Amino acid sequence: MSALGGPAQTAGVQSPTGMGLAISIILIIVALALAFFLVQMAGLLALVGIIIGGVLIGFGVHFVPVGGAPAAMGQAPGIATGVAMLAAGAGLAGLFGGAWAAPLGFPLALAGGAIGGGLLMAITCTMVNVIYIFGMGIPAASGKVAKDPITGDTFPEYKSQGTEGHGLPFISWVGGVVGGALGGLGGTLIYLELLDIYQAQMPALLGATVEQIAPIAISLAGVFAVGMFLMNAVLAAYNITGTIEGPHDPKFKRFPRAIIAAAAASAVAGIFAIGLLELVGVF
Amino acid sequence: MEEIVFGIGITALAGALATVAGAAEDTESDIGSQGDPNSQVQLAPQMGYIHRIFNKAIAGEPPAYGLWVALGAGLAWAFMAMHINPILAIVLGSALAVFVQGVYATTAYLGRTASLAKFGQPVYIDILKSMTTVTMAHAFIAIFATVAMCHLMISALGHPFPLPLLGLVWGIALGAAGSATGNPFYGKERQYQEQKFGAGVPISASGNIVRYAEAGQRNSLDNGFFSAKLGGPASGICFGLIVFFELWRTVVFEPLAAGWGAVIVGVIVILIFAIIDRYIEVWARKTFGPYVAPEEASS
Repeated sequence: MSALGGPAQTAGVQSPTGMGLAISIILIIVALALAFFLVQMAGLLALVGIIIGGVLIGFGVHFVPVGGAPAAMGQAPGIATGVAMLAAGAGLAGLFGGAWAAPLGFPLALAGGAIGGGLLMAITCTMVNVIYIFGMGIPAASGKVAKDPITGDTFPEYKSQGTEGHGLPFISWVGGVVGGALGGLGGTLIYLELLDIYQAQMPALLGATVEQIAPIAISLAGVFAVGMFLMNAVLAAYNITGTIEGPHDPKFKRFPRAIIAAAAASAVAGIFAIGLLELVGVF
Repeated sequence: MEEIVFGIGITALAGALATVAGAAEDTESDIGSQGDPNSQVQLAPQMGYIHRIFNKAIAGEPPAYGLWVALGAGLAWAFMAMHINPILAIVLGSALAVFVQGVYATTAYLGRTASLAKFGQPVYIDILKSMTTVTMAHAFIAIFATVAMCHLMISALGHPFPLPLLGLVWGIALGAAGSATGNPFYGKERQYQEQKFGAGVPISASGNIVRYAEAGQRNSLDNGFFSAKLGGPASGICFGLIVFFELWRTVVFEPLAAGWGAVIVGVIVILIFAIIDRYIEVWARKTFGPYVAPEEASS
């Protein structure tokens, strides 16, 4: 992750390969067919929800401005931590809010999840700028664009010599909040879909009421949602390779590849999560 | 009404615990060089700069704290299931989790530093003995405060997640907030203290970290002393604000507009932070002005 070494990274669009696309589509179709076979229409719809949730997470991670190790030295713009880690922090905070609001209905839980993720990123991005400005005396300067697309601020004259830029320009702040919100939305969607499936299946399987199985259903859905969140965040981080400044970064255009990968991975992981109880029932 | 007042009290307490946790987490990670500046601690011997800085960065802060807090929360949850008093259970769970952190710190330091043997970097046993216990002490505070906060969210505010899962969620969020806020201050302002204030570190200076203190060689306790002045408290405020606003908007405003009150207030809080961020960004551009190259190269 050093700014010094490593092979040169190709910026900009990197389209998915034909083979990758074909395998992903096959995996998704097989997973959907299995979901229908195992849990009928409810399973199919739940898996579609899980795939959408995974895609939202994978897409959202591309918005989060992450500068990694170079940002910690003021050598590159963004937040000085890893892509997957920051996105996971935001998305899981969103999941916390979404799960809390789940009894109030589907739309409210999704909105609560999105706002929870966005709120974490809004506060974190602001505090990052507080440290850059008041702790290090460094104004924000993007290394990828000469002008902030939102505020119109120019950057080249503020960039320190020998660096790729530093700080967190306003476009990156907005990207962080959008990314956190999409992550929180996706994580909550996965959680709600799995919770529905478990709450429908468990009472019959365990011979108990919905209230009695609620703690197990919530725990299982929560653990799977966290796992799928991390999986999709890491997939997107591999697509980004290192650092990204936000939606204005040329690397942002790589997102179609991450969306396809996130959809395929979520479909495969989702079928295991959905089919878990069927499998337990067999034994 | 009484319920809302009680909820606000718990929210404030959880926010305070989160603030302490965030400050302890960042100071712990800076003493252990676990954040992104670890790249420089690892790079320095390769560039010929032998140092006495601790280095336990074999995992990022969010997954590491996710593990430790989930472990502390899981053990506390098991102790509570055995009808042990919750406070004692949380202390015991956190203490056991800290031993795992201690083992992690020891093996990480030995492994990372031994890998630099071919560059002449020694493994200092005195550093291992004196730093590990200090990181463990800070980690205990961070884990205890976070597990206690999670317990409050469940027992007093009624969050549906079980304690270990909530520990994992907030442990990862704690690491994310702490590493995002505290890393630049430790990386730029401490490890590259000799570089000019008000500018990024030139890439050509990478690896040339400050290795000498007022007397003798600098070690990671000196770094903890430094980052506890701003990086740590700022990380604490960051995580404290996150937890406080997340709980506050739900506890106070969820009863309004059939639950949508919490969402609307969340959007308003995000907009307020957008205004604060934009204000300080403009303030910095006006106050500091464009970059002026120093007369002598500082690297």
